[in-house]
Amino acid sequence: MIHDFHYLKPGTLKEALAMYADHEDCKVICGGQSLLIVMRQGMIAPEYLLDIKHLNELNYIKFDEKDGLRLGATTTHRAIEKSEVIKKYYPALVAMENKLASIQVRNWGTIGGNLAHADPAGDPAPVLIALKADIKVGSAKGERTMPLDEFFVDYFETAMEKGELVLEVHVPVTEPKTGIAYQKFNYLTNDMGIVGVAASVTLNGGNTCKDARVVLGNAGPTPRRSKKAEEFLIGKALNDDVFTEAGKIASEDCEPIADIHASEEFRRHVIGVLTKRMLKKAYQEAQGK
Amino acid sequence: MEKRLITLNVNGIDYELYINPKTLLVEAIRDHIGLTGTKRGCDTVSCGACTVMIDDMSVKSCSILAVQAEGKKITTVEGLEKNGELSPIQKAFLDNGSFQCGFCTPGMLMSASAFLKENEGKDVTEEEIREGIEGNICRCTGYNSIVRAIESVVKGNYKEG
Amino acid sequence: MSTEIKELKFTTFKTNVKYSVINKKVHNIDGLAKVTGRATYTFDVKLPNMLYGKILRSPHPHARIVKIDASKALAMPGVMAVATGQDTPGVKQGIWRRYPELCDEQILPLEKVRYIGEPVAAVAAVTEEIAEKALELIDVEYEELTPVFQPLDAIRKDAPIIHEGVERNINVTRHIEWGDVDDAFAEAEKDGYIREDWFRTSSQHHMCMETRAAVSSYTPDGKLTVYCSTQSPYYMQALLAGVLNMREGDIRVIAHYVGGGFGGKFELDAAIFCSAVLSKKTFRPVKIVFTREEDFIASKRRTPMHYYIRTAMKKDGTFLAREVRVFTNGGAYTGMGATALYLTGFFCSFPYKWRGYRYDGYRVYTNTLPSTAMRGFGAPQAMFCSEQQIEWMCADLGLDPFEVRRKNAHTECYEVPGQAYIQSCGMTQCIDKIEQWIKSKGNLGPNRAIGVSAAGFMSGGIFNWFDTPYSFSSAVVVINYDGKVDLYVGCQDIGQGSNTTMAIICAETLGVKIEDINVYSGDTAHSPADLGAWGSRQTLMAGNAVKMAAEDAKRQLLEFAYAEMGLNIVYDLDIKDRWVHVIARPERGMKYEDLVKRAIRGKDGQRIIGRGYYTPHRKGMISPAYSYMMQAVDAEIDPETGKITLHEVMTAHDCGQPINPLGLIGQLEGAASMALGFGYLEDQPMDEGKILNPNLVDYKVIRATEMPKTDMIEIDTYEAEGPYGAKEAGEGLTNPTAAALGNAIFHALGLQMKELPITPEKIVNALKEKKEKEGK
Repeated sequence: MIHDFHYLKPGTLKEALAMYADHEDCKVICGGQSLLIVMRQGMIAPEYLLDIKHLNELNYIKFDEKDGLRLGATTTHRAIEKSEVIKKYYPALVAMENKLASIQVRNWGTIGGNLAHADPAGDPAPVLIALKADIKVGSAKGERTMPLDEFFVDYFETAMEKGELVLEVHVPVTEPKTGIAYQKFNYLTNDMGIVGVAASVTLNGGNTCKDARVVLGNAGPTPRRSKKAEEFLIGKALNDDVFTEAGKIASEDCEPIADIHASEEFRRHVIGVLTKRMLKKAYQEAQGK
Repeated sequence: MEKRLITLNVNGIDYELYINPKTLLVEAIRDHIGLTGTKRGCDTVSCGACTVMIDDMSVKSCSILAVQAEGKKITTVEGLEKNGELSPIQKAFLDNGSFQCGFCTPGMLMSASAFLKENEGKDVTEEEIREGIEGNICRCTGYNSIVRAIESVVKGNYKEG
Repeated sequence: MSTEIKELKFTTFKTNVKYSVINKKVHNIDGLAKVTGRATYTFDVKLPNMLYGKILRSPHPHARIVKIDASKALAMPGVMAVATGQDTPGVKQGIWRRYPELCDEQILPLEKVRYIGEPVAAVAAVTEEIAEKALELIDVEYEELTPVFQPLDAIRKDAPIIHEGVERNINVTRHIEWGDVDDAFAEAEKDGYIREDWFRTSSQHHMCMETRAAVSSYTPDGKLTVYCSTQSPYYMQALLAGVLNMREGDIRVIAHYVGGGFGGKFELDAAIFCSAVLSKKTFRPVKIVFTREEDFIASKRRTPMHYYIRTAMKKDGTFLAREVRVFTNGGAYTGMGATALYLTGFFCSFPYKWRGYRYDGYRVYTNTLPSTAMRGFGAPQAMFCSEQQIEWMCADLGLDPFEVRRKNAHTECYEVPGQAYIQSCGMTQCIDKIEQWIKSKGNLGPNRAIGVSAAGFMSGGIFNWFDTPYSFSSAVVVINYDGKVDLYVGCQDIGQGSNTTMAIICAETLGVKIEDINVYSGDTAHSPADLGAWGSRQTLMAGNAVKMAAEDAKRQLLEFAYAEMGLNIVYDLDIKDRWVHVIARPERGMKYEDLVKRAIRGKDGQRIIGRGYYTPHRKGMISPAYSYMMQAVDAEIDPETGKITLHEVMTAHDCGQPINPLGLIGQLEGAASMALGFGYLEDQPMDEGKILNPNLVDYKVIRATEMPKTDMIEIDTYEAEGPYGAKEAGEGLTNPTAAALGNAIFHALGLQMKELPITPEKIVNALKEKKEKEGK
């Protein structure tokens, strides 16, 4: 049962940040697709609920050929999924959104809310981290930006301080000769991943790896890069054996937790398989460019 | 906790409600306005029985606060028929037997309607249709008759007028 | 993915020019209400002055109830009543009323709780929220007892006793035997082939879209009206009378629309019982709706089973004998588990002829959620084991699995010794059709194969463990002056379309159009007693009753036509498409509407009333008739991750004469989705008796994106026992699928999967094991 709360509806972003600063026991609701479930279970019972869903100031998709992509925090998943410009320049984001939850959830849930919820199984984070995104948060006191892979601190916990909310996600222009691929392993196509892997590969001329990102979803308390796998890949001539070895490294460079859906051993196994496959896919895409 | 006075526009009609802000949209629709076509089947935003349309987009009304739906155009299953004339998708469901116990049907019809609206005039694949109703569980039909119904509307078998 | 969905073709159904309505595509008669949101389920019922009820549940799997103190809850504003077992007559109820030892469940127990989630108290309050808050204020003192969770632990001599006086926790035993089993095995030991395997099947849940729900209203005149989501209003009426010490006639049960049943909703459940008890206390209507979590943890589930099968065949594939031993996890109470125990043992012989067969089944109490009937009723479990073992034995011996099945299949007019009389039987044709279909598919590529399973199922049971004095099905047909027909039936439409099927049978028999029929069901105030929707009984049993009632009404009508038309005695009349006519000279006749007017005048202004009923007599030990089928599942497995992709399900199916083709296709596709879930997705893992996935995130069911193409080939047979030759369809279709999926995995990857559900992890581990074995 949801506990009673005082409902706050700010007119502008500035007002929202001021209200957030002024109220002690206050949670922010946007799409509420994750928040309302935990509130209904009684796990969260804030005195105040600050609604920012309607703030158009935070609802935007902007693309610039030099600056890259900027997504306002209250942009819905569906808007990202349907965006022509994102499909053109960041197809991995569109593909990821297409398999996120259900259309109904994507129509109302937002990218900012998803990232703020900090579920280690969430789909956007691994892909955005592979895309080298950074995230801007702000409070009544000011704004700050950090790389997205530094934003997640623990299970359902971010680096945001009191009074801060997610304002924007910025995805830089993808380097030339870069490919990105993401896949989650699940029983039903749109479930959250039992584990998931996003990989990006940037090539030098030919097939040597200039840069790589291997990002694991639901393999620990936060989405995490396997820096060991990344270091292994950089500088190497890429081939199937290298991908397999990188998968093996990634599978040991994480902390997946067993539950009723899969054992720890199986999760590590699947991480190895997915890493290998996503690296290969990213590599093939990079070659094509 | 202060109750709020809100106006919800449902199926073209404005309803004035005085509610606890924690009231979910599905509760406002079913209990306050009295439209019981929309159902509930879970507490985890999983089953889709509560699906309605907001501004022609399908949403799960169990995970939206009623206060957030103010100022929007809400459509429930009761709003699909016009003056006793069923909408094409409803006719297609009847022709294809796309329901059995019927409990998921209102939500399924709303997802189907939203899908059809979004893809009007476009070619769609079977896979896209299945993705269009992926958020709705049906325990009875096995989905294929629902997919056939949507397909037949897409094909133009139920041109209105 | 193809861009075109194949247009629905009915060429595989024999187009029966004889029939006007039967086997024609018609709109479901409840369709308009369902597609417009007008259908009101118990979930939607709101009565004046209504209260909301919530149930307090045991957190312990096994404990004595020492004391319940509800004083703080009662003091809470808005709380109107709290009920515990002490507020009830304390009747131990059960659906097997003929066998008091199996009536073991006090829904609000007086002394002991036996599973986590068992109700211990119920609250009625003016709002749902207050009722829920009040639960926290009820103090229950428990004395925890040692629990036991697995049947093979619970039968040990030192295991805690769950029901007093029930030794070794053995709830029910069943034995089925024919022929000389040991002799047949001895022969096989000499120059045949014997194989034995152990299997384990899972705990699937009905997961109806509408959870358990009831609104009970007890009034000062001592009458009770109950709206509930049930498969059998009559059973609810009779069971409530038993537990409340009331007369059946003072109880009215209403179930106009039911959001799914699948076997879980024909027993008395806590929503119904507690709302009735609370209403008796408050004299106000009380509504209880289970949350999805409650539904998962506290409404009975499919029976998990430990299966041992030992099979002997000749080297040429002739079946000799089979020995089966099964331990089922009964959970805390009997429910319908006794029937599942029997049927699994019987259907493990199906659909083959055995020289000798021996089955011993043991249903064991444990401190877990009770298990009961679920679509298939023990047969899906049996087929998973039997059909896979047969496939493996064929592979062991290098025999063609279609040849072997054909060699041993049931045939028309076969007697399963001492058990069943098979009349119509299309099993061989089913095998032929599937064999042809698979051949036409050709090579599917790596890691992909088609697996098959034969199966068959009963069309309703002959058993009267409920101890009803009434006919199993009854119907009343009333013809009104304008020709409109009111059909009163007790069979319950839970989505399978029985209202439409009965309307079709009535319309065909009377010779009118389906639009002429109003069906009244789901209300004991006007529905004749009927056992309800379970065991796939309604098309055959209620259908026979409807046919009889319609024939009675037609005969009465035709009396007046004979009188008027003055025909030579060799001529006889019939009605078809609203035309009353001489069969030999159809142009001679009169309009049905005109005859009705004359007949009613002739009967002194009384409407024409026809009565029909059906109870199986001397139809063997199980059922009057059996459906047959062979199903093929085309599955592809990713060998690295174990993930299964389902491509197609094809079924060759013998249900006798199809009555409602849209309904039949719906049953095929719906059964396939549920049975596939049984095969690779659904389970209720537990930890110390606590169900770990009581929600729809963690309990996985198939969605539209996983559902494969499905198609059916109907085999043309005629079943003398059924109305117009019809047999069951819908429950039997859940039987073969998990087995067929297992066989697909066997042919694709060489794995023998003996445990359900077949998860990716199990496949990957099995592949690893196989690789290691081959490496040695």
